[in-house]
Amino acid sequence: MTAPIAETTGTAKSISIRNFNKYYGGFHALKDLSIEVKAGEFLVLLGPSGCGKSTALRMIAGLESISSGALLIGDRDVTEVLPKYRDIAMVFQSYALYPHKTVAENIGFPLKVAKTPAAEMEAAVRAAADQVELGEHLDRFPGQLSGGQRQRVALARAIIRRPSVFLMDEPLSNLDAKLRGNMRAELKHMQGELGITTIYVTHDQIEAMTLAHRVAIMKDGVLQQLGTPKEVYSDPANLFVAGFMGSPPMNFVTGALANEVFTSGSIQFPLLSTPNTASATLGFRPEDCQITAPGTGFLDADVFTVEMTGDQVLVTLRMDGTPLVVKMPKEFEIEAGAKAGITLDPKHLYVFDTDTGARVRRG
Amino acid sequence: MTPKRSIFEAPRIGQMSMATKIVLYSLLLIWSAFVLFPIYWLIITSFKDAADVNQGPFFIPFVDYQPTLHAWKELFVNDYEDTLRAYFNSIVISLSATALSVLIGSMAAYALSRVSYAPNLITILYFIALLALTVLAVTIYQVDWRLASAVAIAMFFFLARAVGNLYQFQLHNGDILFWIISQRILAPIVVVVPIYIMFQSVGLLDTHIAIIITYAVVNMPIVVWLMYDFFNSIPRDLEESAQLDGATMIGTFREIVLPLSRTGLAATTLLVMILSWNEYLLALFLSTSKAQTMPILVAAMNAGERGILWWTMSVAIIVMIIPVVVLAIFLQKYISKGLLVGAVKG
Repeated sequence: MTAPIAETTGTAKSISIRNFNKYYGGFHALKDLSIEVKAGEFLVLLGPSGCGKSTALRMIAGLESISSGALLIGDRDVTEVLPKYRDIAMVFQSYALYPHKTVAENIGFPLKVAKTPAAEMEAAVRAAADQVELGEHLDRFPGQLSGGQRQRVALARAIIRRPSVFLMDEPLSNLDAKLRGNMRAELKHMQGELGITTIYVTHDQIEAMTLAHRVAIMKDGVLQQLGTPKEVYSDPANLFVAGFMGSPPMNFVTGALANEVFTSGSIQFPLLSTPNTASATLGFRPEDCQITAPGTGFLDADVFTVEMTGDQVLVTLRMDGTPLVVKMPKEFEIEAGAKAGITLDPKHLYVFDTDTGARVRRG
Repeated sequence: MTPKRSIFEAPRIGQMSMATKIVLYSLLLIWSAFVLFPIYWLIITSFKDAADVNQGPFFIPFVDYQPTLHAWKELFVNDYEDTLRAYFNSIVISLSATALSVLIGSMAAYALSRVSYAPNLITILYFIALLALTVLAVTIYQVDWRLASAVAIAMFFFLARAVGNLYQFQLHNGDILFWIISQRILAPIVVVVPIYIMFQSVGLLDTHIAIIITYAVVNMPIVVWLMYDFFNSIPRDLEESAQLDGATMIGTFREIVLPLSRTGLAATTLLVMILSWNEYLLALFLSTSKAQTMPILVAAMNAGERGILWWTMSVAIIVMIIPVVVLAIFLQKYISKGLLVGAVKG
């Protein structure tokens, strides 16, 4: 459960992204992106690589020009303002630590260029380093630190100036899985504590779900859906969002819908109060369905693999070549190659128009 | 215990067998002798007189022959004016030319590595054509140069837009870089006559300025080429991060780019310095007496009426080598230091 947006500390500012467009020559990389980010909010831009999320972030930072559109931070229009006057701090995927400077010099760099007095700077560097538990490594060089420590240096450098906005470009993707989980929790805690408006780019939907107040899902430079993690998970706007969110992702069966009956190969399945759709895709989540004896569910399939993940069993089935995954409790046992049926409550069924991707029935 | 090396790693000296070590060290010894013997020969020759050289070969001083300071005296006492002038000229010219070409060349390299240029090919050709026409008008038809340039500039801006929009073929950074490097592919001998005439017409023959400018231009492509690669290896993230942290462009360059490119700058400086220090052909054309450099002085010694003066030539060569060796020792710690370790993820 995501914590409510923290009380703003006064430095946090809202961000208004208005009709962002980005062209690289003839290539339209970002198409009419508009998002209003509240002060203190944690917004995640989520999407596969090449969807324009990093471009959008770099446009907010001022590292890429805004081809058309406007950007407001607080009430100030910063569309044409240089990065250093936007009062933002950014954490890069590569951390972008200065290799020839010590940890202390790295963390203190924003204050140094702001010509902060030495005593004040030292106190601030110590405070920031302590906050990310780096107090003992201040005189080391980035090359002597582990990946997780480098990540912390980058974070400390970002928080030391108390900017109005944090931008993070896949900050956790270079860490190993366990460390990533820890840092995720720390990031979330820190953001809540500081209450600084944060825009976070990732392609990892778990990060998006766990960190965000709201998630913006993007594809091919177009915003697909903007909503709370719960909304985008349980109420996906289209086929792409439904398939992107969730691990393992939603199961899809393609067919046609006519007179409130869904037909796909040998399957016929009544779906009440659903409009006719010439090419329809039926969707259901792995955790919303169960395996039953063959012939008793709404469809039958062959068991392909059985994966025990510890807390549950993932059963992958094949129906005419279409893979279907069912999450079963950890006690569940079945042999690969067996025939099985899948059953579910029809209220968990989503229907999408295959051609347009639009959802025609809510689960 | 030494860790077992992977099959992809070259063996370390300590891990080799005795036989391998003996072969390795003998090869190294032979190579060292091969490299060092000419220098040894140079040194002992500088302490010989004409008889020792002509009746030789004598290898060991005090045993084979009696060393004498004769040649050193000749160069630094009798002819000290010529020697010191050439030495001073060489130092001034190579230092200035190196500073100039490294400064301008690395700025060009930095710009090429960080900014995307897309000049229109037609506009460039058009610019060159106008320039040629202006020169023709001024030199052949005696048009006032101010009038000619004003007309040319006006025509350039007027037609650049019109013509530029017709043909959209653009050059890119790679083309510009290749064009710069191609200037070095051309052998200097090809352009030595035009360069000579050019400096003759502005009255700069046999001056430091002429040689400094020529060396700086000739070495610039090497600087651009080396530094372009070097700047490219510095992650852009670092500069972007510094900008977001509030640094100015100059601040970013001074605080981030310059310290990180020290290694590359040191290597480039050393290379360009050596090239200018040893350059012979261009100096031969551009200097007659006042601006003569060391290579010219040394070469002149084998053309005297007394035959080849091996002994004085050896002295001149020794003093000529010293600054380069000192420079190399001074700069090698920068060159061998890999400062970029840990810049990005590790």
